[in-house]
Amino acid sequence: MRKKLFILLLTVLMVAVLAVGCSSGEEIGQNYNGTNNDSSEGETGEEEIVDIEVWSVNEGFKEIDSGSPLYEFIVDEIGVGVISPYVEWNGGKGYTNQLNMRIAAGEMPDMFLPYNGIEYDLAKNGAIEDLTDLLPEYAPNLWELIPDEVWDTVRTNDPTGEGRIYYIPAIRDYGITGGMIRQDWIDKLGLEMPTTQEEYVDVLRAFKNEDPNGNGMQDEIPTGGRENGRWMDHLFAMYGIAMFEGFPDWDIYDGELTNSAVTQNMRDALEFISELYAEGLIDQETFLNDKQAWDGKINSGLVGSYFHWTETVYDRLPQIEAGTGVKADLPVLPVPKVPGYEGFYSHEPTLGPQWVVKSGMEEEKLMATMKFLDNYANQENWEDMYYGVEGMHHKIIDGKRVLLPEDKSTQQVMDVIKAYNHFSLIDFKSNLLMEAVGEEQMEYVEQGIRNMEENQKYVKVIAGNGMPESVYNDYPDIRSNMIYQEYATKIILGEYPIEKFDEFVDRWYETGGEEVTQRARDWYDKLEK
Amino acid sequence: MGKLTYNMRKYWPLYVMALPGTLYFILFKYIPLGGSVIAFQDYSVFKGINGSPWVGFKHFTSLFEYPDFYRVLRNTLVMGFLRVTFMFAVPLILALMINEIRHSLMKKGVQTALYIPHFLSWVIIAGIAFEMTSLSGLVNTVRGWFGLESMLYMQMESYFRPIFVLTGLWKDAGWGTIIYLAALSGINPQLYEAAVVDGASRLKQILYITFPMILPTAAILFLLDIGNFMELGFEQVYNLLTPMTYSVGDIFDTYVFRTGIQQAQYSFATAVGLFQAVVGMVLVIVFNKLSKKYSNGGLW
Amino acid sequence: MMAMSRGEKILQVIIVTTLCLLSIIAIIPVVSVLATSFSSRLPVDMNQVTLWPIGFTFDSWKYMIFRPDLWKSFGITLFTTIIGTILSLLITALMAYPLAKKEFMLGKFLIIAAVITLVLKPPLVPYFLTLREYGLYNNILVLIFPHVLTAFNLIIMRTFFKDFPQELEEAAKVEGCGYFRVFFQLVLPLSKPVLATLGLFYAVVIWNQFQHPVMFIQDPDLFPLQLKIRQFITSESVMPALMAEERPNYNEYTLRATAIIFAITPIIMVYPFIQKYFVKGAMLGAVKD
Repeated sequence: MRKKLFILLLTVLMVAVLAVGCSSGEEIGQNYNGTNNDSSEGETGEEEIVDIEVWSVNEGFKEIDSGSPLYEFIVDEIGVGVISPYVEWNGGKGYTNQLNMRIAAGEMPDMFLPYNGIEYDLAKNGAIEDLTDLLPEYAPNLWELIPDEVWDTVRTNDPTGEGRIYYIPAIRDYGITGGMIRQDWIDKLGLEMPTTQEEYVDVLRAFKNEDPNGNGMQDEIPTGGRENGRWMDHLFAMYGIAMFEGFPDWDIYDGELTNSAVTQNMRDALEFISELYAEGLIDQETFLNDKQAWDGKINSGLVGSYFHWTETVYDRLPQIEAGTGVKADLPVLPVPKVPGYEGFYSHEPTLGPQWVVKSGMEEEKLMATMKFLDNYANQENWEDMYYGVEGMHHKIIDGKRVLLPEDKSTQQVMDVIKAYNHFSLIDFKSNLLMEAVGEEQMEYVEQGIRNMEENQKYVKVIAGNGMPESVYNDYPDIRSNMIYQEYATKIILGEYPIEKFDEFVDRWYETGGEEVTQRARDWYDKLEK
Repeated sequence: MGKLTYNMRKYWPLYVMALPGTLYFILFKYIPLGGSVIAFQDYSVFKGINGSPWVGFKHFTSLFEYPDFYRVLRNTLVMGFLRVTFMFAVPLILALMINEIRHSLMKKGVQTALYIPHFLSWVIIAGIAFEMTSLSGLVNTVRGWFGLESMLYMQMESYFRPIFVLTGLWKDAGWGTIIYLAALSGINPQLYEAAVVDGASRLKQILYITFPMILPTAAILFLLDIGNFMELGFEQVYNLLTPMTYSVGDIFDTYVFRTGIQQAQYSFATAVGLFQAVVGMVLVIVFNKLSKKYSNGGLW
Repeated sequence: MMAMSRGEKILQVIIVTTLCLLSIIAIIPVVSVLATSFSSRLPVDMNQVTLWPIGFTFDSWKYMIFRPDLWKSFGITLFTTIIGTILSLLITALMAYPLAKKEFMLGKFLIIAAVITLVLKPPLVPYFLTLREYGLYNNILVLIFPHVLTAFNLIIMRTFFKDFPQELEEAAKVEGCGYFRVFFQLVLPLSKPVLATLGLFYAVVIWNQFQHPVMFIQDPDLFPLQLKIRQFITSESVMPALMAEERPNYNEYTLRATAIIFAITPIIMVYPFIQKYFVKGAMLGAVKD
């Protein structure tokens, strides 16, 4: 009652103000009517198609609404209607808030990406469906696709402690990140691919001093990374440090699961890297490089060695060529050997949760969700799902599907059906890469595929893989790596002597590291059982 | 109470005029503000305010017991002081200067130019600050001309606060002049004419006419600003901060972001907000008293 | 115009030079964004563009301007800004007037109540739920109503009303005008500078807002411009798309720059129009005789 009265009052006010005079009102009003009609009158398909609301990452593309081309495409492909409204992602922060507000309002989506550890609270509050028995029966494709040991991890992560499956994890069957190096520079300077740390440093030195890009200027950047000490994992990797895109991770050190940030390995690595910095072998602006700045340096052909997804050289190479005219060769850098250490690039086959399903849904909707999961995990559909809707995401040239450039104004968001990204499999990806490109780009893609395969020689699955975010609950400074980043950057820049590292370790344990480590070890023990 | 009813009956049009605004404050400010009680709860989106457990001052205690609380408090106070001082003084001086320009087209041009940066978000302004101070950026190029070595100011602790102040002025000083310019336009021209007859120089006119006339407005602005003393603008600091400058730039707003907002700890975020508000309110009350004592104006 | 003395001339030169220098510094950011928006993809990918475009092209602009959805959002923003500003000024002025009057007994109480709203912010989730209860979820009115009155603007307006010459009002009252007539026919017409200023403040807030739309607007037909613009500003493509057949001559950075300029130009253009109200003595000059 109060609500109605209020709206009435507001409307009267609005009308009064409108009457005062705004001539542009009419035209816009018509605009609304025009578009409202076609979106509200959805099509009712031949068989009854059940709609489910799905939320996941959307970096600015159009939503999926009933009756739209991608909606119809998914109905054809999967047999379920998917509605996915536009939710601003904004680095995950926007998404988390929106999701929480919708939950508070009692309108949780039917299936969604649980970001930032929210699955813990969801499961504890009984808000998400127990999938343990449903998946094997109704979504066998998905059940088979994900290896048993990954399901075991998911069971261990059940916050109720019952060993049930509450979420579907994303997976990767190959190590995706690794160091890379400019082979063409090495050849030009008459050097060899480095295998030890010493050789690697010599090569970096030569990159700096011997003008491998041949422009007569000492503008080469031997190696480096990005702000917050990220994307320079290759320098840490040789010390056997578990690390995820610059964030220290968990592995077995001295026989126990430990965060690599507080190990002797880290101390030695930081000391080494600070020497590189002092000698000018690391980009002096490393810790000020945002994505654009660092990518810009690599694309300008100035960087000798860097760390990233090894396959994406297919994107770098043409840019380096266009900018400098040089056909670069960017193979994987074998992890340089350091005496006393076993180096590796960290590999995380179990990624975070990809989907959770709302609990207490009607039978019909729950079955539709299962049907979606089953068909979406079916690899026979993946290629179609990669190319999306004809005319929107791809066009056909000479009978071959060719992707259209990304366009946020016309393309509907595809993440919901990107099973090939949620479950990345090396075989599927390399085939896809070969299929998807034309003659001209083949040479770049071939390097990418070579790197993918080559990189597997140097990767190791770290022991902390699959650990739930909830171990960090109540200790945000540990989770955000804030203390680590403060000390690591200052030590590398030479503002702190390496002895400060010991102070860091104490501080890390004091501000919650102790508790977090205990939880992490408990989790690991449980997993091992 | 009888007095109020009498007053209401006599001056009823004033009460009618104030009614929409009052209703607005109740509906859009005070009713939602009631939600602040979650500061004393472990608020859960699943249970709502009615179902979430009460925890008393738990979140306030955990704020005060945070190991870096002192560092965060110190940074907030120092930077708050810098911000209030500079953001108060510089727009005032700029407005007085703009007011002195005789050439009217140039006056408008300068006003517009100074006002433009306000419309760019902090991501952009901070991004350009980083770019300008990079090795190949403007600042180091100029240093190079003088044979000076390059400096990476953005990662130096000692420069963080000056950069905070300068970028703040860069973005908002021009915007801040608008209200003064409006106030200046209210000054009776006869005052200047009389001063000219008395032979007062331009500088004297500024000191004895313009400045005193604009001061009450400035005092009000200051009082309105001081209430947000503890809130320095998350966007600005967050976009300028690097791990190398945490020690001098980590403030309540960035702290709440990583602990409260990013982790969806709404109760904790609200508790910190309440703490900031209480400090702000105390400052407003104190300065309002001072203002009433030493000038004749105040908020109430 | 009177002749200037030598000292005044020097003062004038110093002031003008300083302000011009500051103006140049002030426009550096917008020049830099403009330069990126007119540059080709490659130099931007290589991070070479600073203050002037490299590989000058209109491609980003063509893309932006021919997006129909953007113009629709533009219309929504324009519409809500105009309506919102008018409504805001009306409500603010109506409330500020009694607050400036000594005979209004609730003045002090309401001012303190207003200042509290300035200092204390409502927590996110309860705020969302309350406004949702009011029926403002997915409602275009949510772009207007949360902004129609701020304590800051209210108090500024009251300060100006307090300075309003009492003699004039008294004279009008002697002639038999009530408060309403005095307010609408005398006070408001003579308060153009402050109305223009606060109108600008309100307009800018409504034009630039994104928090409320992000929270409350789900229907793409109701997206204001800023929400569209943020699709370029807040997103970051993590994984480069596999090669498309032909690559357009823009990238995420040039589009972002174009989007920013597109969004701020209209609101920046408002300012020169209201500057005419800042002419010296605009208020009292009219009253003099």
